[in-house]
Amino acid sequence: MRAYLQKYTSAAPLAVFRAIFGLMLLISTVRFVALGWVRELYISPQFFFSFYGLGFVKPLGEWTYLLFALCGVSALLLAIGWYYRLASVALFLSFTYIELMDKSTYLNHYYFVSLICFMLIFLPAHTMFSVDARHNEAARAGEIPAWCIDCIRVLVCMLYFYAGIAKLNSDWLFEALPLKIWLPAKNDTPLIGGLFNHRETAYIFSWIGCIYDLSIGFLLWNRRTRPFAYLSVVVFHLLTSLLFPIGMFPYIMIVTALIFFPAAFHQKLISYAGGLLRLPTIAKKPAGRYRFPALMQPAVQAVFVVFFVFQIFFPFRYLLYPDELFWTEEGYRFSWRVMLMEKAGYTQFTVTDANGKQQTVNNNDFLTRLQEKMMSTQPDMILQYAHMLRDYYAARGFVRPHVYVDSYVALNGRTGKPLIAPDVDLAQQCDSFQHKSWITPSNNEIKGL
Amino acid sequence: MKKYFALLLTMLFLGCSGGSDKPDPKPTDEGKDRSVMLKALAENVIVPSYDQFKTKFDLMTAKSKAFTAKPDAQTLAEFRAAWAEAYVAWERVELFDFGPGEKQAIRNFFNIYPASEAGIAANIADPASNLEVPASYPTQGFPALDYLVNGLGANDTAILAQYTTDKDAAKKLAYITRVVTRMESLLGKVIGDWKGEYLNTFISKTGLDIGSSTSLMVNATVLHYERYIRSGKFGIPSGAMANGIPAAEKVEAFYKKDISKALAQTAHKAYVDFFNGRHAITAEAGPGLKTYLDALGAKDSSTGKLLSETINTQFQAATARLDALKPNLYEEVKTNNQVMKDTYNEMQKAVRMLKVDMSSAMSITITYTDNDGD
Repeated sequence: MRAYLQKYTSAAPLAVFRAIFGLMLLISTVRFVALGWVRELYISPQFFFSFYGLGFVKPLGEWTYLLFALCGVSALLLAIGWYYRLASVALFLSFTYIELMDKSTYLNHYYFVSLICFMLIFLPAHTMFSVDARHNEAARAGEIPAWCIDCIRVLVCMLYFYAGIAKLNSDWLFEALPLKIWLPAKNDTPLIGGLFNHRETAYIFSWIGCIYDLSIGFLLWNRRTRPFAYLSVVVFHLLTSLLFPIGMFPYIMIVTALIFFPAAFHQKLISYAGGLLRLPTIAKKPAGRYRFPALMQPAVQAVFVVFFVFQIFFPFRYLLYPDELFWTEEGYRFSWRVMLMEKAGYTQFTVTDANGKQQTVNNNDFLTRLQEKMMSTQPDMILQYAHMLRDYYAARGFVRPHVYVDSYVALNGRTGKPLIAPDVDLAQQCDSFQHKSWITPSNNEIKGL
Repeated sequence: MKKYFALLLTMLFLGCSGGSDKPDPKPTDEGKDRSVMLKALAENVIVPSYDQFKTKFDLMTAKSKAFTAKPDAQTLAEFRAAWAEAYVAWERVELFDFGPGEKQAIRNFFNIYPASEAGIAANIADPASNLEVPASYPTQGFPALDYLVNGLGANDTAILAQYTTDKDAAKKLAYITRVVTRMESLLGKVIGDWKGEYLNTFISKTGLDIGSSTSLMVNATVLHYERYIRSGKFGIPSGAMANGIPAAEKVEAFYKKDISKALAQTAHKAYVDFFNGRHAITAEAGPGLKTYLDALGAKDSSTGKLLSETINTQFQAATARLDALKPNLYEEVKTNNQVMKDTYNEMQKAVRMLKVDMSSAMSITITYTDNDGD
């Protein structure tokens, strides 16, 4: 272990990763703003679903644009490696803040980006092919500790592997769900559309997807299989981007996987790009080794140990909850569970009070369609919304209002049924990390991990 | 390792050979072809339904002209009868609130009730008032005509007097003409679009993402069932929706009263027929949501019952409640409101199936932001 920690390698792969990753985030941010999503998702809505215990993380009204500007500028600075430390901290904070403003926009790939940004704060990704390295001799280094690159590789492997583990369930493998539902929706795709009408296709895709996720990390790591593995990364992600509205994620993964390529490859990239940018050789291929400040090295290593231990165990927290994970979604987020469910719901809330007042709520008066869709299938969001309604009606003449929900949720093609006990007054229930006893039992076991 | 690449190659191979699969489409493939469904619905259901409505509407226009030219007991009676028939026929097209219908907001201008008596009075007084803003919805369309021909006086003599001897008689007659002309123009635009450019657009946008035809159509028609049949015709008048306080005056065709059930029945049947892809003229079942769901194999995993059957069974249950009502829903709310609520509850069950089970089985998208399926 000690020998490994003292092993040095070329800084080129990390420098290239930094540049491309920063660029992708810059594009993501610009795209997000250009599509008008800042206003639509974070300014126009009246109510936001904050994360439990993080109620203070909220959109900032019109200032939210500034937050996105900060995020975009830090991504740019990261890409060009200028004021790298400052930029990486600012990027991590701004991106993570944005991610946490509203649960209804939660995406696993945002979480992945946040984690990478967090690691970059500590890593020496600016020692070459950067403005910092060009201007500042002390920042230059041609070699960095090998673990600084490997930790990113490990996180990428974990993402795929855990996504693969999540697919080891009876719905995915034996029912080909939800692909069996999703693929026919794409049967008008040119050339390959006709395939999606066949049940077999859904099964083949499910199994390939699962095997792919479980194995791709190892195949990328192995020198001999790497070229083929990378080709399959490209094909796989392009196919998913063709089929599903998953935005920038496929492209981010395609470029992220380059981190597995050897230093020589990245050095070539740097020499080529550096030539175009007229960078001095000293910034393209500096000499010397990067050394963490004496006391920092063990501290940083400790941070990474804690980080990875957390990453290993956190996705399994669902085991602490009773009932079916897909139904209750207790422990579902932040666990690399991607594209696993076709879940749809309908909720109608009724607010009453002791004086006989009664109001049936039109959700569209309070929530956007996206928020309503997300809320309708996720118990913690149903509770948050119920509390919002309680406070809203309490302020409008209802005396200690009761809030009930008539819910109807369908999971992976099963006929819908109530998600929440209809006779439970949600106004009285508290949110916590405990199991929510007022979730109706699913009575459908989805076997597997 | 080898297996992995074999699988990968299989996938690539399948990916490349997809095009050659088409020559012999299985019947299920046909059922899953949304362009077939869209074409059939447009040509067999939507366009002929608008044509049928147009015939009734034109008759009403003619009778309204006869009435405004010479208001007497006979022209009034004929205008009324034509109005009622056109209103009923409208219920067969109101659900098509997507594409041209949505673009013209035809529902808002044709059938927002209860009518605003004060608004109508103001419009009569001011012939230049704006009839294109949302505030003007309840002052035009069928509900306004209902008020004008059925509600302006306590009896026929009193109503006729409003159009003959009243000092503003001419203005009132002019307002009838104004309302009918405006409806005629909107309807002309909607039908024109359906018979023109839009038909091809509708058939060719075969996706399921937001903005594609199936998605627009399913979202709009489900919303129609939920908000304009279940809530508008039953939930709101019966008080099942808000405060439990009945509001009998909010029934459809409040002034005529005795056609309110017929309107609701027609609207409900129109939805069921649409679901089953029934031809507007021959009533023969054809490609539609039902056949599409069946082709997808949407069924309950525990009982194996087809989702389309479950939905149709629920439609029947709602229809049975609806059929048992008296023709005058105002009367029902006043004297026998529980049957109104029962009808509402039965429709509510159908709403859930349509919004959740059907939309989910079809993989209909309602938002266009990124998502990773959770």
